[in-house]
Amino acid sequence: MISFVGFSLKRAWLGFWRNSVMSLAATATMVFMLVLLSGFFVILTGLNAGLQFVEQKVQIVADVRKAAPDLAIMSLRDRTAALPEVASVEYVDPTEALRRFRERLAQQGREDLTQYLDSNPLPGSIEVKLKDPRVFGNVVEFLRADPAIQRVQEVQTLIDRVLTVTNLLRTGGLVVLGLVGIVVLFIIINTIRLAVVARSEEIEIMRLVGASDAFIRWPFIFEGALVGLLGAAITLGLMALAADPLGRIMTGFFEVLPLQLGSLGRDLTVLVLGTGVGLGVLGSWVSVRSYLLK
Amino acid sequence: MTQAPPRAAARSYRERPVGLTETETVGDGALLVLHSVTKTYPNGNTALRDVELVVPEGDFVFLVGPSGAGKSTLIRLLIRDEIATDGAVILDGQDVARLTRRQVPRIRRKIGIIFQDFKLLPTKTVWENVAFALEVTGTPRRRIAPAVDRVLSLVGLAAQAQQLPGQLSGGEQQRTAIARALVHDPRLVIADEPTGNLDPLISWEIIQLLLRINELGVTVLMATHNAEIVTALRKRVVALEDGRIIRDEVGAAYHRED
Repeated sequence: MISFVGFSLKRAWLGFWRNSVMSLAATATMVFMLVLLSGFFVILTGLNAGLQFVEQKVQIVADVRKAAPDLAIMSLRDRTAALPEVASVEYVDPTEALRRFRERLAQQGREDLTQYLDSNPLPGSIEVKLKDPRVFGNVVEFLRADPAIQRVQEVQTLIDRVLTVTNLLRTGGLVVLGLVGIVVLFIIINTIRLAVVARSEEIEIMRLVGASDAFIRWPFIFEGALVGLLGAAITLGLMALAADPLGRIMTGFFEVLPLQLGSLGRDLTVLVLGTGVGLGVLGSWVSVRSYLLK
Repeated sequence: MTQAPPRAAARSYRERPVGLTETETVGDGALLVLHSVTKTYPNGNTALRDVELVVPEGDFVFLVGPSGAGKSTLIRLLIRDEIATDGAVILDGQDVARLTRRQVPRIRRKIGIIFQDFKLLPTKTVWENVAFALEVTGTPRRRIAPAVDRVLSLVGLAAQAQQLPGQLSGGEQQRTAIARALVHDPRLVIADEPTGNLDPLISWEIIQLLLRINELGVTVLMATHNAEIVTALRKRVVALEDGRIIRDEVGAAYHRED
């Protein structure tokens, strides 16, 4: 067993350098694709964090009846906060609501017409932030059933729209990532196949003298893994060099969002190494398979 | 060589094994049995028709016939490069068509095969070419060197061990290929036109070597067009024509003698 692994590794190493131009071309392709993949991954992670932020902004707003006593409102606020789906609850009283309204008008540079009113027309409201924006049904029902609530603002459409957009962006990103992966796979398959064809004479002799499939296959698998490993190492080196300037741009761009990029480096390393070696091995496996299935 | 001395061909191997059903019922002394073997390729060409052949252990058989008669197909069936459409090919008591993928390499190690074009690896030395056959079949390293040295001295190439195939004459290259075929201690050596690329004098050297290997107890099956050699040696001759065995005689000439 040890001699088999040693034999396969030795032949993979020799094979890689015998066809050095081809192997390095394969490695360069791998690096290019992995850099592309890393780029997509980083962008997708940023996008995802942004989307999460937007999703957190989605909240349920319930207008309180003018006549509702303060005690009932406070009790409702506390009971709402106790619901399992709820992250936080805030009561905005009519004065605060008016202040916010005026602030918004001022921001938009429009004339404040409310100053001509002799009383505050705005209702107080209970604003509920959810743990998961997709689970809002119970909370809406609960609020609607309470006599202190005049109406629950129609949130379903809003939540649905936000979720549709964010899901679309996520799926789109994953699809692009998948397509890049498939392109890499085909290029690797082709490259390894060239290496296999270049050694078809050797494979034929191996078959004739009674080499088992494993002895024929594994040197190529290791060679593919070597291409993947080398490609991943170079890619990670490049990413490490680019991390600092890139990180500054990223934080600058996403400044408004509370991005958490702590695990990004680790995730990226795992992704690049896994994809590189995985594609190398898979490509070799497919290429040699057609030779062994005779 | 560790083979047992050639067994006397007690049974007449030209006697057809009629009513053969179980592989176990044949093979007593026969290394190779072909029973009503037919091979039709996917394109509709029928290369072999109803071939019956029994080769006892230690035999030396010339396989003759014009190009396209089915000699190559027969050899490919023996090494299980192809599978018979009909009938059974039994090597050393095993029906090769029923072998699993894992067992195929094992049966191939019982066969040493030699080609007209040598099929040596140009970047490896003579010694490495022979050792390669053992390396790729998982032979422990300590057993490789003695085995390679032994077969190289058997074929008379001990002095050329470190040379590349390109530096050798055609005869020496073919002897390297024979050494590679022998290094597994095969039961059967198949030679497909081994003298096809060699001049007459060198051809005789190669034949002498194959005869010596046969004397050591290895069964030899040699496909050839070389009428001079076949006729001179008076060995068993199996003639194929249009996919059928038209003649199977011991002590025969290349052409029919009536």
